[in-house]
Amino acid sequence: MLLAFIEAHDVCFAYDKKTAVITGLDMKMAAGSFTAIMGPNGSGKTTIGKLMMGIIRPDSGKILIEGDDTRQLDLGQTGSKIGYLFQNPEFQIFSHNLYDELTFIPRLKGAEEKSAALQADRLLRLLQLEDKKDVPTFSLSYGEKQRLAIAGILMGRPRYLILDEPTTGLDMVRKNILISILMKLLDEGTGITVITHDHRFVSHFSGQLLQIKEGRIIETGIK
Amino acid sequence: MIKPLEIRGLCFRYEAGTPRIIDGIDLDIPGGEVFSIMGLSGCGKTTLCYCMCGIIPHVYGGYMSGDVLVFGERAAEMRLPVISTKVGIVFQDPDTQLFSPTVEDEVAFGPENLCLSRSDIGTRIDECLEIVGLRRYRLSHPERLSGGEKQLVAIASVMALRPEILIMDESLSQIDSEGRERIKETILKLRSMGKTIIMVEHDIDNLDIADRVFLMENGRLRQVDKDRAGDAVGLYRGT
Amino acid sequence: MRPVLNNFDVRTKLAIVACISTTAVVIQNAYVLLFLLIVSIVLSALFYGDLLKTIKATRRLWYVFFAIVVLQSIFNRSGNALFDIHGFTLLTDVGLLKGLEFLLRISVIIFSATIAASSDHREVVQGLVQLKIPYEIAFMVSVGIRFLPLLRSEFIDVITAIQLRGVDIRKIPLTKRLKVYSYIFTPIIAGAVNKARRLSTAMETRAFRAYPERTSYLVLKLVLKDYVVMIITLVCTVAVFVLYYIFGFPGRIL
Repeated sequence: MLLAFIEAHDVCFAYDKKTAVITGLDMKMAAGSFTAIMGPNGSGKTTIGKLMMGIIRPDSGKILIEGDDTRQLDLGQTGSKIGYLFQNPEFQIFSHNLYDELTFIPRLKGAEEKSAALQADRLLRLLQLEDKKDVPTFSLSYGEKQRLAIAGILMGRPRYLILDEPTTGLDMVRKNILISILMKLLDEGTGITVITHDHRFVSHFSGQLLQIKEGRIIETGIK
Repeated sequence: MIKPLEIRGLCFRYEAGTPRIIDGIDLDIPGGEVFSIMGLSGCGKTTLCYCMCGIIPHVYGGYMSGDVLVFGERAAEMRLPVISTKVGIVFQDPDTQLFSPTVEDEVAFGPENLCLSRSDIGTRIDECLEIVGLRRYRLSHPERLSGGEKQLVAIASVMALRPEILIMDESLSQIDSEGRERIKETILKLRSMGKTIIMVEHDIDNLDIADRVFLMENGRLRQVDKDRAGDAVGLYRGT
Repeated sequence: MRPVLNNFDVRTKLAIVACISTTAVVIQNAYVLLFLLIVSIVLSALFYGDLLKTIKATRRLWYVFFAIVVLQSIFNRSGNALFDIHGFTLLTDVGLLKGLEFLLRISVIIFSATIAASSDHREVVQGLVQLKIPYEIAFMVSVGIRFLPLLRSEFIDVITAIQLRGVDIRKIPLTKRLKVYSYIFTPIIAGAVNKARRLSTAMETRAFRAYPERTSYLVLKLVLKDYVVMIITLVCTVAVFVLYYIFGFPGRIL
């Protein structure tokens, strides 16, 4: 049995302390595994993603990342363990230049330019962006921006990824590219949770499936 | 017989010296059909939409040759407000096309701009909210609606100008399955009213209501068999 | 607390706000400002209802105001010294009074603004149009009200995203902080520009500015009680000015 990387125990949450968005959430995501959280718009999927990341804190219950309560962790600590791709990847692109986008944070933290550049090169190849090195980031297509945002997250070497609606705006070819990248990451031992309503995308992976409706898990499946 | 929309030898590039995004398109669009235009991201589908509804050349510039004829008149020579009463467009992102305090205000916005009488505006609001099934949300704030409901408000707001042609530029891509079904029902209702709907899509799952499917690649259009559209865009058939 | 008076035309409310705020800005007397503050709190409670919400929503601003009060008090050196250190006057009675007047004035403006905020924002926009403010300006107000919360949540998402990548702005040395802020503002500005572009395109495709004029579907009508309230407001405002400037009432504290 795989160890849980992320766990939720009886988590409840309401944005305005009145209407519960999440009720009695219990779930476990194992290290190196794939989980899909599916449900209609407004069911609470993104809220679950944010709770897992510690971006918002549960009103009751607890969320543990490798045994640590998210209430005791700051965002930097959570981010070093779990990478989070927002629904709009443009919020996560901070520079006009691809290399700078990937290396400015490691350099800010004192990493050597050369090792940061090597890591950036590797990720640009993995994310199929090596031919876009000279393109300003804001001229990239939506799918390319998304992959750049993922590359930026992976520079921090997290061992788990949460992707919120990653297939929005992607055509089939770009979805296939994303599928192949996620499969490579799974092979390398990175755990992945995808929050989506895209059944066709999820059907390419095997792992855990959580169906969410009105803030509750109504169905759990193994694919 | 004058067709609602005709395209003759259309070519377009955004900047001089760059490749043509549209490279010789001829198309006749009759009334009362659901057309789908498919293609990969960046193939020029949205650019073609913009040419059809007058955004190019009236809002966005570029180098355009050929003609887009709206009920026999050249779109390039018509004023955009006039084109909007014949060809409407619903965009992908509901949040940047809804900007009014209430659903009623949103639907009234277009007719108000055309200086219609208050009673005409009221009639159009009633009709359009009935078509999209959102009468009970008349005084709701659009930002509190679901994604599917927002797109329905956007459709109602565009239909309030009574265009004969409605272009939907990837309008279903951010919507969940329940919302998509509601929007498709609305599209079919509009078709039964004699309207033409042009759906620009890259998701083959949204083709089920299309009467004809065209594939856009290399700046050109070709009609494809609806049932084989997935193969045409290179659908990955699994690991 | 529920609002008691909510059926008034937005123009009536705007008239009340304008009279109270103008009086607060023009008359620099602590007694008058205190009186205006009591009036605006009472009216806010009657029209808007939720005073606590107003205080909570503006609580970060109160720290800024308090800092301005302290600075104003310290830098105004006229009057008698109240507090000095080794002969260097830190606080005078006039300085303290000026600070207090500033605090009272800003409180009046905030509480009186809630009177107008009690109207639905579509009524605020229509009220401005019927007051002959150009539609484009009233529309900008409407779009601002609609999109500012969205921009705020996007800003929060951007900050969260950079924090998740391990950047804690508080721990960045001052010399590098400006560079970090430029990274933060890049996606925010790009996002705002994109949003504006898409919004303006959507508006143009719905015949915006097709003609110099446009119809208003929503029309606000002033009724007897609106006129009565506006007249009472105007009379009271004039009375305050007459009492203050002609009769010298109330007197000055110093």
